[in-house]
This record gives sequence, structure tokens and C-alpha cells, in this order.
Amino acid sequence: MSAEAAERAWDELTLSPAEYRRAGARYRQRRSVRAYLFVVPYLVPFLAFLVVPLFWSIWLSFNQGGLLDSAKFIGLKNWRVIGADTELTTSIKNTAIYAAEAIFLVFTLALFLALLLNRYRRGSNFYKLALYVPLLAPAVLVGLIWQFVTNYDFGLINVALVHLGIGRVNIFGNGTSALLAIVGAEVWRGLGFWTLYFLASLQNIPEELLDAARVDGARGFQRFRRVTVPLLRPMLLFAVVIAIIANFQVFDTVYVLTQGGPYLSTSTLVWFIWKRLFAFQQTGQGYAAAVLLLAIILVLTAVSFWLLGSRRRRRTREA
Amino acid sequence: MAAPGAIAEVTEAHADYARAARRNRLLGFGKGVAAYVVLTVFAAIALIPFVYLLSPSFRKSYELLTFPPQWIPHSLYTGNFHHVLHGTSYPRWALNTLIFAGSVTAVTLVIDTLAGYAFARLRFPGRSLIFALVIATLMIPTAAVVAPLYIMISRLPGWTHSGVNTYPGLILPMVCSPLGVFMMRQFISTLPEALVEAARLDGAGEWQIFRKIVLPLMKPAIVVLGIFTFMFQWVNFLWPLVITTTDNMKTLTVGIASLQGQFVTDWGVISAASVMTIFPMIVVFLIFQRWFVQASMAGALKQ
Amino acid sequence: MAEILIKHLVKSFGKVEAVKDVSLRITDGEFLVLLGPSGCGKSTILRVVAGLEDADSGEIVVGGRLVNFIDPVKRNVAMVFQNYALYPHMTVRKNIAFPLEMAKKPKHEIEAAVRRSAAILGLEEMLERLPEQLSGGQRQRVALARAIVREPQAFLMDEPLSNLDAQLRIQTRLELIQLHARLGITTMYVTHDQVEAMTMGHRIAVMKDGVLQQIGTPQDVYRRPANIFVATFLGAPPMNLVDGTLESVGGGGWRFRGQNVDVQLSPEVLSPPELRHEVEATGNVKLGLRPEHIRIAAPGEDGGLPGRVLFLEPVGSDLYLTVEAGGGTVQVRTDPDSPLQQGENVSLLFDPWRVHVFGADGHNLRRDAPSVGAQPALAEAAS
Repeated sequence: MSAEAAERAWDELTLSPAEYRRAGARYRQRRSVRAYLFVVPYLVPFLAFLVVPLFWSIWLSFNQGGLLDSAKFIGLKNWRVIGADTELTTSIKNTAIYAAEAIFLVFTLALFLALLLNRYRRGSNFYKLALYVPLLAPAVLVGLIWQFVTNYDFGLINVALVHLGIGRVNIFGNGTSALLAIVGAEVWRGLGFWTLYFLASLQNIPEELLDAARVDGARGFQRFRRVTVPLLRPMLLFAVVIAIIANFQVFDTVYVLTQGGPYLSTSTLVWFIWKRLFAFQQTGQGYAAAVLLLAIILVLTAVSFWLLGSRRRRRTREA
Repeated sequence: MAAPGAIAEVTEAHADYARAARRNRLLGFGKGVAAYVVLTVFAAIALIPFVYLLSPSFRKSYELLTFPPQWIPHSLYTGNFHHVLHGTSYPRWALNTLIFAGSVTAVTLVIDTLAGYAFARLRFPGRSLIFALVIATLMIPTAAVVAPLYIMISRLPGWTHSGVNTYPGLILPMVCSPLGVFMMRQFISTLPEALVEAARLDGAGEWQIFRKIVLPLMKPAIVVLGIFTFMFQWVNFLWPLVITTTDNMKTLTVGIASLQGQFVTDWGVISAASVMTIFPMIVVFLIFQRWFVQASMAGALKQ
Repeated sequence: MAEILIKHLVKSFGKVEAVKDVSLRITDGEFLVLLGPSGCGKSTILRVVAGLEDADSGEIVVGGRLVNFIDPVKRNVAMVFQNYALYPHMTVRKNIAFPLEMAKKPKHEIEAAVRRSAAILGLEEMLERLPEQLSGGQRQRVALARAIVREPQAFLMDEPLSNLDAQLRIQTRLELIQLHARLGITTMYVTHDQVEAMTMGHRIAVMKDGVLQQIGTPQDVYRRPANIFVATFLGAPPMNLVDGTLESVGGGGWRFRGQNVDVQLSPEVLSPPELRHEVEATGNVKLGLRPEHIRIAAPGEDGGLPGRVLFLEPVGSDLYLTVEAGGGTVQVRTDPDSPLQQGENVSLLFDPWRVHVFGADGHNLRRDAPSVGAQPALAEAAS
């Protein structure tokens, strides 16, 4: 080949396609290994302490024993037992009622307070801090503190009622008010967090949009409904999902305040599970109930996404 | 030259305007007052139960059952506090909780930042899938895993003795919360990609990039996650309840709850223990308030 | 010898083919500009050479070494990013020193190298500042200092001037040219700005939609564009295009006929043999004329193209006229002191030697036009 022709052959490939592929695979592999080293420290505990136990629970729900002795496979027996167990259905019902009441109440109040704090900024720091304080107390402590609010003898509420001339009330005497007491405790505790959450969400909404609405003649409530709420939707969805997941697992306050009473009226799902697993040693049923809890949470999360997600699409088509 | 009639009209319009403006101002003022009243009421509701706690803690328990109960004690009875400190394992519980929450936080911060960086900026097969899996586990209720975890800890081969009632047994399973990884990944994604690329060209290995470029820029997020995690473990109840059965390994939450079982009606002791637990937290909170508030708002902003 | 060879590079992102079989040869010390509109694949090529992306197929050779499967740092190339990518939490000094620290060079060497680089770029007084305290131009210089401190085999620059304001851009352009003259390091420079390309590059590689259109010296690419895209991309205002047909004329010549246009083209401009075939197949061509090659004459002048002035755009040094002619509009560059008014009739004169003719597929049919994608090496092109 002449020098000129050699010059022009500079763009000839030196590697065969097979060699190229092999070298490429080796290179990418080296990179991936380095990347995996970063994830492994997290993934190992993650798999060991979260994923494996979950599947183990599912497996154990088809077994008897397993906690202090070895497991014996018994098929669907556990599931049939809890299926017929009214205590379980009551617990689920209670949990659902509790969650609905608590979430509704805390979101409404938190949104309301957040709107106020957003508008009236003076001294807002003090209010934010004050509302946050109950969050610092563990739920257990909140339960105990709530004793001082609800107790028949010396609780704040009853003392106030007596001073007002109305008689005392035994809050833990009947199911509805007992459940409300739990709701009250958890709402009281969580209000600060959600208020701050909604406050941050509101502050994320660009001021110009509300100004434009005001110029267009929208009144306060209209502005809220037509501008603020649609823009808050993703935040709201996230909040609802998290709130559902958290509230369906309510346990600590029940343990401390009511122990499920009176007559199971405040027995929640996790309380039921805990009793079966650790108090009564009917572990198979406990696992089954736990798996049921997981399933319920999954379903509710999906429903929330569907309700709050697709509606956005429908609305924008209208608009 | 304006006609005299026109001037009269203008002044009348002025007066109308002034009247309306005054009315508006009054209304605005009224609304403002109402708003602050509402806010103050809620702030009071938030704080009063804590204040209410102070009274019983300084009085003998049986005094509480007199009806109507006396609010301001004649003398400050410190016996409750004395009992909490010396008659129960409270100091030990406090130590346990500190070690527990602190260790979980430390470990979580390390592994979550590492994993978050990998998910955000490193390419490897299965990255999206694994990340999706991690997020999905956010929905797993603790109750569904506590029992198998108990079995695991108590009977894992290789342990010479049961891991129940030990620190590692208490700490390790709580280390893998998906929320931290999610937060870290989101935050690291906001750092400009060019920075990491420039560092790669400058010869930094992935570990060096992480240590010298990414970490220094993540300080605020790390603080937020640290506080989040610490608080979450501080108030953790179900897991310590399950995994600690001896009195001297319990955490504060479990220990104080057990006071109710032991001393069924000793409200004085219980309120003293509550006061001792909460008021220091309030002090810490006030000192670091900026970070705490940021931690809550961070949840909203990451959207 | 830091020659860069890009052989048949193909790169897709999912379904999008960013680079379709591009081959490029950059000789040692050359300043090659990759020019094209956004999305044409120029940045992708740069990133593949840097090692920030993997090629789907094709080989990259830097300084005689195949680098496809080598980590970015080991390729010994330095990159300057559009947004400078300075480490915000480090001082200027630490930013510049960073690559050397990563290479674990001894401290005194690092100090000396940092001082040298800072001196070359005039940064001595800013060494202890943080990037946020610097202006855009200063940050750019820090990025450059960080790049040269490693004494790399090649520079890769990704639109480094786009974030600077107009005046600073001109100044920094000159500084970059001087820097290159001084250091003589092979440089691959990506931009969409044709002025940068024309003033800075030894050769320009014009790209569109992942395909290399033409590569040559600035003069080459400007005077002898391979196709319509290159012809209109370079030059502002862009080359004018007039629709029409070609007819062959006795004696081997051609005749271009458009609306009110009738031009005789000698066989020295358009070569007969290949052309006849193409023209018989389609017949529709476009005539290309640069605004500076058209002269304004009084209306009715012999042989001129009649037109009417639509707009006038005085830019101080020149006057650009938009003239309605030949069935469309034509832009003409003329003397700023011209007394012409809007609506006036004029006659447009031009030298038929300067004309380009583009076939239906966009190819330049001129005899001396290169084929699309041809790669004259620097030595050839300069002749």
C-alpha cells in the first residue's frame, strides 16, 4: 500500500465485533462492581431485616408455632380461624374508623392552621414551635399524658366539666368515646408535623398565581378551591398515603391508654397482631393478621393513588 | 379650570373612599385578631397538657385522687423524682435509648448516603428495579416483620447466645429504613451532574468523588436525615417492646410504659418520669429548632 | 503524538440515534471545531471521547491508544464544561490542584503546577477565592486552568463560551486562541456558534442529525459548502436560495432559469458529465448566492435580476436589504451609506462564478465542491 493509501485507511476498525463486545462487557462489569459496592452496605441489612422477614411472615402464616418452637405447616388453618374471628373484624373496623377520623381531623385542622400561618406571619415562629412540641413526646408518653387529660378522677376534661357544673364523664366507659380519646391523642400529637408540612406546601405555591386570581376577581374561598387545592394535590396525595400507612399501625397509645378496651372497642389491627403473637402465643394467626394488614395498606395506597391521581387528569380535561 | 360642582363631587367621592377604606381596615384588623386568637388557642392546646403534668409530678400520688384535685401544691414533693431515679431503672433506660437512637442514626447516615449516591449518579444494571423495590417497602408495616425478626435475632446460627436483649439485636434491624435512601437520592440528584463528571475526568475514583465532592455538598440534607432518624428511633415503641424483655435493656418508651403496669395507680411517679423525659427534649429542641423544623418541611419540599 | 481518531462512531440513546457512523481525524496540535445546531450529536461525540458515555460501536483512539474501554481519567484528556463545573466548596487553588491531588503528585509539584497554570490564565490574585465570588469569565478561566494543569494530551471543550455575555465572549475567544497557540495541545471544540467556529478552528466539522456533513478549513467550508445545510449554516445573513431549473446549453454549459432569473453557468463552474444525469432526473435545483456577492444597481440594468426593496436593516458597519426577487426574498449586503428606500425598485447583479447550485437532494453541484462527509486532512485542506 502506498503511503497515501495507508494514510487514508486510518478509519479502519481494529477490533472484531466479538472482541469489541467482550471488551465492552468487561469494562461495564468493572464499573458495575464499583457501583454495587456502594449499595451493598444498605442492601444487606435491607434484605436481611426487611425483605426476608416479610416473606417469612407470609410463610409462617401457613404454619403453627415458630416463635419459641419449630414451625409446623398447617396450610390454610390459621387463615380460616382468623377469617371467622369477630375480634379481627372488630379490630379492622376500629382501625379503619380511627384512621378515617384521625386523618380527616388532623388534615383539616393542619390545613386550616397552615393557611393562617401562611397569611399572618408575625410571631409565626412561636406558633410553629409550640405546635411542634407534642411531636417530641413518644406516642407512649402521649398516651400517658392523655391519661391526665381523660382520667375519670383527675383528668383535665373532667375537672373542667365539673367546674362548669356539668357532671363527670367516663371517657373510657364506652367504645365510641374511648376510640375518640385515642383519636384525640394522636391528632394532638401529629398536628404540629402536618401543619408544618402543609405550610411548606402552601409556600411552594408561587405567589403570582394567587395574585393573578385575585386580579381576576376570585374571592378568598374561590382562590382556595380553584388555585390552591389543585396545586396542592400531589402534596396531598403524598400526605394521605403516608398518613394511612402510619395511622393503620396505631399501637402505642392503645397499649398505654386502653389496652384494647373496653370490650375490644379500641382494639386495633396491630394490637390484635401483637396479642396473638406475644401475649396469647397463637402465632400463626398473628402472622396471618400481619399479612392481612400489609394487604390492606397496599390496597388503600393504590386506591389513594387512583382517587387523587387520576382525578387530576379528569379535571384538566374539563379545564 | 374645574367647575366648583366638580370639586364638590370629588371631595364627596374622597369621603366615600375614606369610609370604605376604614371599613376594610377594620375588617382586616378583625380578621387578624381572630386568626391570632385561633392560633393562640391551638398553641395553648398543644402546650397545656405538658404544663398540667408538672403539678402531679410534684405531689404524692394519693393526693391526686382527692376530688376536686388541688392544682397548686402546698409544698413541692420531690419523692416521685427520687423514686424514678433510684427506684426504677430510668437512668439505664435513658442510656439505652441514647445508644439505640444514636447508633441507628449513625449507621443509617452512612449506608443511606452511600446507597443514595449510587442510585442517583452511578450506572449499574438493575438500578431502577432495585430502587423501586426499596421504595415499595415503605408500605411494609413494622408489625408484619417484628416476629420474624425476633426469631432471627434469638436463634440466628453463629450467635453464641440469643441476640434478644442485646444492643446489636436492638439496633441492627432498625437500620434499613427506605425513607432515608429515598431522601438522599433525591437530594443528590439535584447536584449538577457536571460536577461529578468533571471529577471523574480529574481522576477521582468513585469513592473519592463521594468523599470529597458529594458529601461536603450534602451537609444540610445529612443533618435533616440525622434528626429525622434520631427522633423516629427515640419514639420507637413496638420493636424495643418485642426485643427487650429484661428491665435493664429497655428503652425509655418501653420502660415508662412498664411503669404503668407495675405501679398501676402511682400517677405521681409516672408524671415525674414523663416530665424527666420530655423537658430535656424540649430544651434540645429549642436549641436546634431550625433543624427540626427543616426536617418536617423537607418532606413537603422534596415533591 | 496526541492525535484523536474517531472511527465509525455510532451512539443511540434509546430510540434516538444521536450519532450515525461518524469518522473524524484530528491531527496533533490541531484545533478542530465541531459545529452544528442543538441535537446534532456534537456534544455526544465529545462525551464519548471523554469517556462519559459509552459508544455503541466504533473506536476512539487517542495518542495511538484505543480508549473505548479505559476509564476517563486514564485517557489523559481534559474537559471544559459549558457550566464550568467548578467545585463550589473549594477555593480556586484547590479546584486547580484537584486533578493533581487525585494523581497523588507530591506537594511541591502540585504547588508549582498550580502557580504555573494560574499565571498563564491570569488568576494569581484569585487563588484563595471561592467560585461563587467570581464572575463568569473568571470562572471560565479557572476551569481552563484546572484543565491545563494536568498537561493532558487533548482538550475537549463543550460550548465553553455560551454562558458568557457577548462582549466577554469575544474577549475570551481571543484568549482561547492565544492559549492554544501557546500550548499547542490538540483541541476538540464543540459549539453552535459559527462565528466561534470560523475564528477559532483550524478545521471545522459541520454536523447535522448525527451525520458529518463536511469537514474542512473555515475558508473551505464557507466558500465550497458540500450541501445546502452547510451553505446556509455558515454565514450571517445566510446564503440566499432561489428556486429554478437547469438546462443544458450547447458547448457544455448550463443555464439556470428561475422567476425573472436567467443565468449562464460555464462548464468550469458546473461540471457536465455527472450533472446531466441528475438534472435529467429531477430538473429542479436551487441557486445559492451569498449576500455579500450581490451588488445593487439601478433598476433595469442590463443582465440584472429585478427586485423591490422590502426591508432595510442598518447594523452600523453594513446595510442589509431584504429584496423581493426571483420568486422569493433575497438578502443583500451593501454600503451603509446607500440612499435606498423601502419599496424602491432595484436590479441585482452578481458574478456567475460565485454562484452555487444545489440539486434536489441538497448536494452542491459545483465542480469544486467536496462530497458530503469527505475528510480532507489538515495538510490537504490547507492547500
